[in-house]
Amino acid sequence: MRIVVCVKQVPGTHDAKIDPETKRIIREGIKVVINPFDTYAIEAAVQIKEEIGGEVIVLSMGPSRAITVLREGITVGADRGILLSDRAFGGSDTWATSYALSRAIETIGDVDLVICGKQAIDGDTAQVGPGIAAHLSWPQATYVMDIADINSGSLTARRMHEDGWDLCAVKLPAVITVVKDINQPRVPTLKGRLAAEKQEIPIWKAADIGADPERLGLNGSPTRVVKTNPPQGRMKKSVVLDGPVEQSVRRLVQELRQRSLV
Amino acid sequence: MKQHLLTSAYHVEILPPKQETEKLYEDLDRFSSKFERVMQSGYCACITDNAMGNLAFQGTELIEELELEAGRNQVMIHLNTFHTKADLHRILDSCKAAGIRQLLVITGDGSDRLPRLTPAEVGAEGVEAVTSVELLRYIGETYPGDFDLGVAFNPYEPEDHEFSKLDRKIAAGATFAITQPIIERHPVVDKLIESYPDLPVVVEAWMSKKISLLSEAVGYEISEDTPYDPIENLKTLHRNYPQCEIYLSILGFKTQYPLLEEIRN
Repeated sequence: MRIVVCVKQVPGTHDAKIDPETKRIIREGIKVVINPFDTYAIEAAVQIKEEIGGEVIVLSMGPSRAITVLREGITVGADRGILLSDRAFGGSDTWATSYALSRAIETIGDVDLVICGKQAIDGDTAQVGPGIAAHLSWPQATYVMDIADINSGSLTARRMHEDGWDLCAVKLPAVITVVKDINQPRVPTLKGRLAAEKQEIPIWKAADIGADPERLGLNGSPTRVVKTNPPQGRMKKSVVLDGPVEQSVRRLVQELRQRSLV
Repeated sequence: MKQHLLTSAYHVEILPPKQETEKLYEDLDRFSSKFERVMQSGYCACITDNAMGNLAFQGTELIEELELEAGRNQVMIHLNTFHTKADLHRILDSCKAAGIRQLLVITGDGSDRLPRLTPAEVGAEGVEAVTSVELLRYIGETYPGDFDLGVAFNPYEPEDHEFSKLDRKIAAGATFAITQPIIERHPVVDKLIESYPDLPVVVEAWMSKKISLLSEAVGYEISEDTPYDPIENLKTLHRNYPQCEIYLSILGFKTQYPLLEEIRN
């Protein structure tokens, strides 16, 4: 089974700032990390590979420094990585981005499954995974919280939603996006990191994936960011312990223990 | 009769490279050089375990991958509860294979990226979460006699609470204790030494000049302009606790390390 995992480099949660002029996220000179949801996608792919065999390829689109997120993927079990990096991709919205990624997936060839994190924490759109499926005309399952079964022809998964979950089956090749509940990503090892550091990561340009330049970048983007505002700070969650004193104290100790405070 | 913990007087804390480092090889070289220096001095290298919840490489894998020679009784691995069971066993098996006996077993600091042992995985009943107590018991039962298990002792916590926690840790298999950083002397550490004559106690010396960084550990605000001389404090700790070995945290390897031998003597 050949699985492609799409990953993205995003600003560290506490470092995200928005350019007041362009309304875009400032990406220069700030700490960047792998999109947290993508780590669950990589783990899901690696677990499938460990169970039924195959190959896991991590794929990203971005500046050359995005190679570090591909190396992170290889560190935890992906076999290789591919970076799409070209001026032609600059300014792409989610539709143009998913077009470029879909072209890369077709260029890789013989891909059975594409896995994405449910969304990136910088844009929060959750559109790229479904966009890839649309460009490839493949079935998709979003918000997957558990892969119940997978074989060479199909995948059965539980999809999370507000009221519980749906069990759905899709024929392969397909695209899925995953939520945090699906697994606990493994902690990277030094051995894996050293192996990842040594691996050559090819950089593909628009021409390498046979992409139509008119469908990339600003030209290929039907949407424009008109205004972006930083999110409101979230209030910390409070826990009110009411009821009999003995019961409240027991709950307090329980809460503190779970946070390793006592 | 108190068994002396080690043959070395100093326990030198070494922070392993962080997972997020972009200068991996440089950081690995720096780690190796610190480790080898500690080995050559005959001290004990204490390698932290994802301190403050920041993902870092494991001490045992660093020793293996960098082919470092761990001297007898010269390495202490910190081990917390934020691991999968498989990773926990991998660490313990690696320690055993490398002849590393000393573990500092702590509850530790978690993060979103770190898994946590569950009570069921370590055979703990009637608890909501695994703490150092459950981990100590599990290691003792699973690897009987293979390790010397140390625990943290915090004299800045309410005294009764801390001593009762220490009793639980000792009952679970702890055989030595390491304090939080001590400035000159602390009455609760004096009481610890007096009340537990058979328990080797290692006193921690804070080797950074920035004493304000200790605010969280001691539980009250220490102003940034508070004067502090870590070398003088180390000398004072030697005088006040001659029976104890000393744990050096945030040690400066360039300027402070060369002074250690002279201070010890």
